[in-house]
Amino acid sequence: MKVTFPHFGNTFFAAKAAFDGLGIDYAVPPLCNKEALEIGSYYSPEEMCLPFKIMIGNYIQGIKEGADTVLTTGSCGPCRFGEYCELQMDILKKLGYDVDFIVFDAPKAIGKEEFLRRVSLISNASSKSNNEQIEAALNGLKVINLIDDIEKIAHIKCGYEINKGESKKILNSCKREIYSINNPEEVVKRLHEYKRKIKSVPIDLNKKPITVGIVGEIYTIAEPFSNLYIEDKLMDYGVCIKRKLSPSWWVKNTIMSAINMQSLDIRLASRKYLPLYIGGHGRECVGETVLSKREGCDGVIQIFPLGCMPEIVSKSILPTVSKDLNMPVMTLIVDEMTGETGYMTRIEAFLDLLERRKSNNVLSWS
Amino acid sequence: MYYLGVDVGSVSTDIVLIDENFKIIDKVYLKTKGRPIKAIQDGFRELKKYKKEEILAAGTTGSGRQIAGYVIGADVVKNEITAHAVAALYIDKDVKTIIEIGGQDSKIITLKDGVVTDFAMNTVCAAGTGSFLDRQAERLEIPIDKFGEYALRSDSPVRIAGRCAVFAESDMIHKQQLGYCEEDIISGLCEALVRNYLNNLAKGKEIKQKVFFQGGVAANAGMKKAFENALGFEVYVPEYYSYMGAVGSAILAKEYYEKGNKTKFLGFNIADLSFNTKTIDCSGCSNRCEVVEMLRENKPIGFFGDRCGKWSEKVKAS
Repeated sequence: MKVTFPHFGNTFFAAKAAFDGLGIDYAVPPLCNKEALEIGSYYSPEEMCLPFKIMIGNYIQGIKEGADTVLTTGSCGPCRFGEYCELQMDILKKLGYDVDFIVFDAPKAIGKEEFLRRVSLISNASSKSNNEQIEAALNGLKVINLIDDIEKIAHIKCGYEINKGESKKILNSCKREIYSINNPEEVVKRLHEYKRKIKSVPIDLNKKPITVGIVGEIYTIAEPFSNLYIEDKLMDYGVCIKRKLSPSWWVKNTIMSAINMQSLDIRLASRKYLPLYIGGHGRECVGETVLSKREGCDGVIQIFPLGCMPEIVSKSILPTVSKDLNMPVMTLIVDEMTGETGYMTRIEAFLDLLERRKSNNVLSWS
Repeated sequence: MYYLGVDVGSVSTDIVLIDENFKIIDKVYLKTKGRPIKAIQDGFRELKKYKKEEILAAGTTGSGRQIAGYVIGADVVKNEITAHAVAALYIDKDVKTIIEIGGQDSKIITLKDGVVTDFAMNTVCAAGTGSFLDRQAERLEIPIDKFGEYALRSDSPVRIAGRCAVFAESDMIHKQQLGYCEEDIISGLCEALVRNYLNNLAKGKEIKQKVFFQGGVAANAGMKKAFENALGFEVYVPEYYSYMGAVGSAILAKEYYEKGNKTKFLGFNIADLSFNTKTIDCSGCSNRCEVVEMLRENKPIGFFGDRCGKWSEKVKAS
């Protein structure tokens, strides 16, 4: 068995560490790029959302590197993502690719037995002992938590750093380095070192950077290619970024949802505006916007793929939230047609707006 | 002593010089024709009577602001939304809403107490922008500067589907074939475009008075009237409506200079230098960036499009 999986932000680091620990052969598709999107757009239904298309591209690129099994997650949820895997299986089959799909989903949704059966498909392919397998899974978890943590710290430090660009450089070299290591223990060790390193980046607390909250559909905010690397750009501008949704958040949220204890802060914060789960992460989006204000963000950027139903609902709620909290909110919608120039213009103008509001810079000549 | 503002848009390139009192000293309007560098050089040739030393600071804006920034050695490279807002606020501090329609895109900017509070830019469709009106004028064989007059002569505008440029055009052709007169069709077109603007771009935005209408399309009196009819109050077109972006960027340059910074402006003589661009398919990693290299006299002066900064740092270092 040779496994491939779709990209989703930093998850491939964790998947890689887990498979290395399990001793299962795998093919990491090339990082999401235009080619993956082109392949995906060609074979996907036109009106399908962007993440679907990029994922199809990932699968095909992974299969070309010899993979025969696709590992992905489902959500049996009331958003299209719940049906992704079924449609994707169908598309790949029609294209003549003979691959198996292993779809992970919450035990609550598919039943405990089915869940264990799916897990056994992976564990049976591994020659390691049970203890070693558990350790491999835990290592994967450690990796995703660590890398997401490092990213989070870098996203704040970039606004205060004394040597411009240092945080971004450390983050990038961290990602490059751990990708080349095939020993999970070593990866975890290096990540701890990088975490110390990023924490010790010298900062100037007199700086008053703009802080922007990133909310919206989880894939498009966590997978940098899909949002045209907005976080890299914000880091270049020396803007602090706060983003709650990440692969590690998703793992935690899914586990906690088994006992209905997930994201209590978000649920409380969204109560006034959207007290229900409407599918996808629509409720989270509203809740995080409220939380962003409390956490000192100057503005919020919402990002979602064209046609994303839950986010369209939250988009129509956000103007009210924005007005109540007196905090600007901008929405960016991405798909394979998104032009970079207009996109950048909006981001720049939004930052200008926040900056001039913050310093109350009623232009110098008036 | 002057401040220079350059607005490189999709259709036109505007250059202005302002003095300390924000008075416009000189202005140049050129068609970009898809060659931003050449347009800037042509414009600079006309401005050669000014010395490099007379320019205290320079700014660029518009969709070509990055490339223009490299070519002229700009001090401030700012997006057109900020530039337009700055220029409008300078003319009238009470302006609350700016309707800006240019060659390829349309925007709405709302202001409060001299600060931009919200903005939107068209995302999906170019119907209603300058290029579309240009094309329709050409198709009807009416000079574009007469387009507004035609619209004003109409008493009963025809209803045109304005949601999308392609459908609007086919609907116009259809109405022509039914025998409606040109005046009514053109006036109907203006109304459709305004309807489209208000229903899509300005959806959910409060349009407060005083409203400024700027950008190239503001030249069209028919559009101004259609906006006034739809909104029910007067819409102001500032004197230099088509230069507002450039004026804004010159004002931003002035701000930069007044903060005590020195200019990097290269002078008007760059009109005679040779500029080239080269595309590099970077194969350094799986991001596969398409990097554009900019050359002046065959020496690299700038790179864009690389994600990791491997290329763009080269220039900064040298």
